[in-house]
Amino acid sequence: MSDDQEYYAGIDIGSAFIKAVLIDQKQIVAYEIFSSGGSYNETAKRVLDQALSKGRASLDQLSGIVVTGIGAESAPFQARQFSDISCQAAGCRSLFPSARIVIDIGGQFTRAIKLTPQGRVANFLMSEKCATGSGRFLQVIARILQIKIEDIGLLSLKSQSPVEFSTNCAVFAESETISRIAEGARLEDILAGVHHALAAKVAMLVKRLKMEQDVVLTGGGGEDAGLVSAVGEALGVDVLVPQQPRLTAALGAAMLAKEEKPKTR
Amino acid sequence: MPFGGVDIGSTMTKAVIIDGQGKMMASVIGPTGAEHRHLALAVMDQTIEKTNLSFDQLDFIVATGYGRINVPFADKQITEITCHARGIRALFPTARIIIDIGGQDSKGIKLDAEGKVMNFIMNDKCAAGTGRFLEVIAETLGIKLTEIGELSLKAKGYVRISNTCTVFAEHEVTTRLTEGATIPEILAGLHEAFAGRVVNMVRSLGIEKDMVVTGGGAMNIGLIKAIEEKVGFPVRVPPEPLLTGAFGAALMGKDLLARGITPERERRLEGVTFFK
Repeated sequence: MSDDQEYYAGIDIGSAFIKAVLIDQKQIVAYEIFSSGGSYNETAKRVLDQALSKGRASLDQLSGIVVTGIGAESAPFQARQFSDISCQAAGCRSLFPSARIVIDIGGQFTRAIKLTPQGRVANFLMSEKCATGSGRFLQVIARILQIKIEDIGLLSLKSQSPVEFSTNCAVFAESETISRIAEGARLEDILAGVHHALAAKVAMLVKRLKMEQDVVLTGGGGEDAGLVSAVGEALGVDVLVPQQPRLTAALGAAMLAKEEKPKTR
Repeated sequence: MPFGGVDIGSTMTKAVIIDGQGKMMASVIGPTGAEHRHLALAVMDQTIEKTNLSFDQLDFIVATGYGRINVPFADKQITEITCHARGIRALFPTARIIIDIGGQDSKGIKLDAEGKVMNFIMNDKCAAGTGRFLEVIAETLGIKLTEIGELSLKAKGYVRISNTCTVFAEHEVTTRLTEGATIPEILAGLHEAFAGRVVNMVRSLGIEKDMVVTGGGAMNIGLIKAIEEKVGFPVRVPPEPLLTGAFGAALMGKDLLARGITPERERRLEGVTFFK
């Protein structure tokens, strides 16, 4: 690696995790992800340092840094800011140039972004008012069932007859889950029921944007195979999922740092 | 001429026996379990015991509430909207709006001058507008549900709770605590938010000044004060807010008999299947 190599970093400062992606002119060089902890400022610095050291690069070699996410304001270094919508779109577009709908299912809310055929953000919608529309619903039910969140995807795929919840409220679904367990419902059927309910909410969001293909599912929800399958079923398409769904916004931030590089240095 | 009313709510089952004048003779409140029909019978049995009557001596038994279909011994099932209206008007003859705050739903009922139900609205879709909201948060705070009303009145101001969703509000409450907000301030904030949702629901019916709040929520003085603040006038609360549905059901039985209608079939104390 020569000294005049140019690098770009994207940092996504989220409420649960801080992610950094380092790219050069051609490809992803390194990435890092840490729990956000008590100080966004300190963790963001550690995440970037770690990504740089993994990529054997130094801060001086960075030609651009873009930060995004809820904590973007607290970035401890000189960086430009882009909205998480722009970054998410840029990241998914770079991995899947055919993407027209990007669904980001996070722990607190779900976003659906519509892209133009050229890959620009045309419109977006958020579901943030109700836990049933987000990964939080899964967390609530997983806690009742005493199952690790990372295990629920594969378990749910085993379901033969998913439970149909009579409610769309995560709190009521929690009590319904308890009654279903008492009635002898299988764990996988309950989980598949939760996936279906969540997927229905997500599909509503996408339909309001008007569905287009291809569809990319990213964010923590992209790591849940049961949810991916349920969303695909609800939309009637095969859903594309990045290899590292949690990193797409940080990747997009790095892409934007490269694309929108100031002309003069 | 005694009459029985039983109200199977989502959280509590209530039974009331009234005499021929419509005066309450006895009442029992028990938690609603998974086995509705056994529980309804047990609660009714206990109520009958208090009056030294027997099942056969009740001229009419009316069941209401969301579990009313699971009351094999009832002579008739009547919706809780009708029963609440009947019970409340017996207590407050001029009432025009009823707000019933239950454990898993809340309702607004509008009555005409004669006490007939004109319109109603109900929320059972989202926990945020129901007693469940306060129950969940009280548990998070480690405070008994029966204590949050009084406790909230100790607050000088209130902490605004911005999340509607119960799940998110639960998290918001713990965040506010770590930021130094006091428990009374938080409870006052929860009541403020909750009252806003309930009053908004009723607003679609058209607010009337003769307003009665009933159901378990009416036992929460902090919530009542918050509702009064939102509507801008005092509201009334029955002496036993949990019982108005069952009381109204018993009165409906009395009304039926007065119109010459008698129970059609024999009472069954066993052997009824669940609706499923």
